[in-house]
Amino acid sequence: MSAHVIEMKGICKGYLLGEERVPILKNVDFTVDRGEFVAILGPSGSGKTTLMNIIGCMDEWEYGEYFLNGRPIHAMEEEELNEVRNKEIGFIFQNYQLIPTYTVLQNIILPLLTRGMTSTEAKERSMEIIRMLGIDHRLKHKPNELSGGQKQRVSIARALVCRPALLLADEPTGALDSRSGKDVLALFGQLNKMGNTIVMITHDLNVAKSATRIVRISDGELSEETI
Amino acid sequence: MLLTELLRLVWLNLSQNKFKVFMTSIGIIVGTATIMMVIAIGTGGREEVAEQFKNLNAGSIDISYEYSGSSRGAGGFGGSGGGPGSSGRTSGRSGSGGGFAPPSGGSGSFGGGFPGMGSQNRMNQERITLSKDNAEELSLMVPGIKSATISYSTSASVEGGDLEESKNLTIGGVLENYMELSNLTMAIGSFFTEEHDRQKEKVCVLGQEAAKTIFGSAYEAYNGIVYIDSRPYAVLGVFEEMGSVASGISPDGSIFIPYETGVKYLTGTGVSPTITVVASDVDEVDRIKEDIKTVLADSYPNAEFTITDAGSKMEAANASNRTLTMLLVAMAVIVFIVGGIGIMNVLFVSVKERTNEIGILKAIGCSRRDILLEFLLEASCTSLVGGLFGVLLALGITPLVESFGMRVSLSVRDGLISMAFGIITGTVFGFYPAYKASRLIPVVALNQE
Ligand SMILES: Nc1ncnc2c1ncn2[C@@H]1O[C@H](COP(=O)(O)OP(=O)(O)OP(=O)(O)O)[C@@H](O)[C@H]1O
Ligand SMILES: [Mg+2]
Repeated sequence: MSAHVIEMKGICKGYLLGEERVPILKNVDFTVDRGEFVAILGPSGSGKTTLMNIIGCMDEWEYGEYFLNGRPIHAMEEEELNEVRNKEIGFIFQNYQLIPTYTVLQNIILPLLTRGMTSTEAKERSMEIIRMLGIDHRLKHKPNELSGGQKQRVSIARALVCRPALLLADEPTGALDSRSGKDVLALFGQLNKMGNTIVMITHDLNVAKSATRIVRISDGELSEETI
Repeated sequence: MLLTELLRLVWLNLSQNKFKVFMTSIGIIVGTATIMMVIAIGTGGREEVAEQFKNLNAGSIDISYEYSGSSRGAGGFGGSGGGPGSSGRTSGRSGSGGGFAPPSGGSGSFGGGFPGMGSQNRMNQERITLSKDNAEELSLMVPGIKSATISYSTSASVEGGDLEESKNLTIGGVLENYMELSNLTMAIGSFFTEEHDRQKEKVCVLGQEAAKTIFGSAYEAYNGIVYIDSRPYAVLGVFEEMGSVASGISPDGSIFIPYETGVKYLTGTGVSPTITVVASDVDEVDRIKEDIKTVLADSYPNAEFTITDAGSKMEAANASNRTLTMLLVAMAVIVFIVGGIGIMNVLFVSVKERTNEIGILKAIGCSRRDILLEFLLEASCTSLVGGLFGVLLALGITPLVESFGMRVSLSVRDGLISMAFGIITGTVFGFYPAYKASRLIPVVALNQE
């Protein structure tokens, strides 16, 4: 089995605008190895989120093969994909995507409940991560009672509770002030040292510099950047 | 996901959105309440019909004679000329045997002016009084008759008891078997006997309401004396309350006296009684009606008798009741379609709002089964609340509907039926949009506004 966590070959995706197909990802080859911290850097509209959604097994694409930890995602059925999303990937969304009627705690433990845990078990398992992120005093709040930075941390906690090998973050610092942004990046550095593989999207070179490897995307094509 | 955790989430979603749950169920509430009222009003109507006929035996047949000569009580026999056309309601079996009878006196004067009516008006010009003998003859000649009786009603001034001034009440002249044939029961005392009738004794039995009007209560009426047309009658007993009836003498407000007693003291020979016979077999009613006609035509060739049976009266009443029920059901169906569309819209919107939530659930790897189960439980709980409130609403407006004089008959079974209807509609319409959303790929669900 290969050491690659992500292995993409010739991925193509486009959208239909009326009759015309607008290509977004053009024959993308992308490989990430275990333990890497990769930043995907590119201007707005270059296709970063589109690529990230495919990596996160949340979107379909037209051509190309995608292996995650050596398993062919392109050949999987809905139920298998659900399991992959739950067990192998932690996804941090550009706009947090928290459920507004649930409390912070309920939002965080939801992936564990999905696995069949009781909420007591799930809470025990999440406490370490919750403390690490410093949101233990906000557990009973609703998402709309939190600041952007706090929401981001809740969203990170939810991505981490299942202890996935691969962490995906779409513009994790985009909506934060520079201090909270630095905190998040420091956390990612720490997680990476602990062995997590991280792929992060950003349009900010300074943010990208906290990664161990930078990949540029423009107009749906990838190119390697040497730091 | 564990079922307990799923239920916890369902409870959370419902209790977090009490107002929305209530708004969503408004359509279900109205729909359920309407269905329930419609069923209750329909049942009430049917019961009312059944009740109005409770003094009738299914196999009973009434025979009466409608005199179309000059008005009753105008003295002599035979009709005195002025009558023809005054009541053109004689049923027109113009080809029947009776039609060839020699014209009786009255038809001449107007008859020429109204061609085509003349032949009908030849009938029933004669004054005929049905008698006990006729009743006896029928039960002898026509096979299949279980029993026969004869009765008439008239009205007379009544005094006595607590009455301060005389009061006009309905007086029924009946035979000793009247009570049994009319499904009446005694509240107190006993009914009169054949002996009372033969001796033309001045005894009577009161209807429940009549007893209350005259004496204040059935108990006080028992063994009392009432004065009918200034003659004293001993009260032998009082009937149980019967309620309103559709046919015959309404018993509650009437006074019953022996047939012959009434003929002697009240009506004289000008009475027009009704013979009632009861068929032993309900299926033979039509045949018996024909036989009765034949037997009577022997004695009275020029007469056309009005013969009605309880079954066809009930049938007619039931038919009009069915029409009403159909109308109400049509209304309910429309309400449910309109209500259903309303429910569907509301639920579509509220589940659309939650498409994003479905996207999140999919993104964290929640299986479609769990998502569907959650939304199914939520929809059915919402509808359950709606169904319950709908039934309560129906119970609440029942007195209002009743105040309009409509009879409403509520039952647990009908309540459950209406509730089931509401719950199913709400669940289906609430579940369907969630089902569609659960089939979306995660990004599409997440990005839907
Ligand atoms: N559902 C869609 N239908 C049609 N076009 C789409 C759709 N989603 C994205 N696009 C197009 O795909 C292109 C890439 O979008 P994407 O969201 O990947 O950009 P991005 O690099 O993440 O930008 P940003 O930095 O602003 O988030 C854009 O031009 C966008 O218009
Ligand atoms: Mg983006």
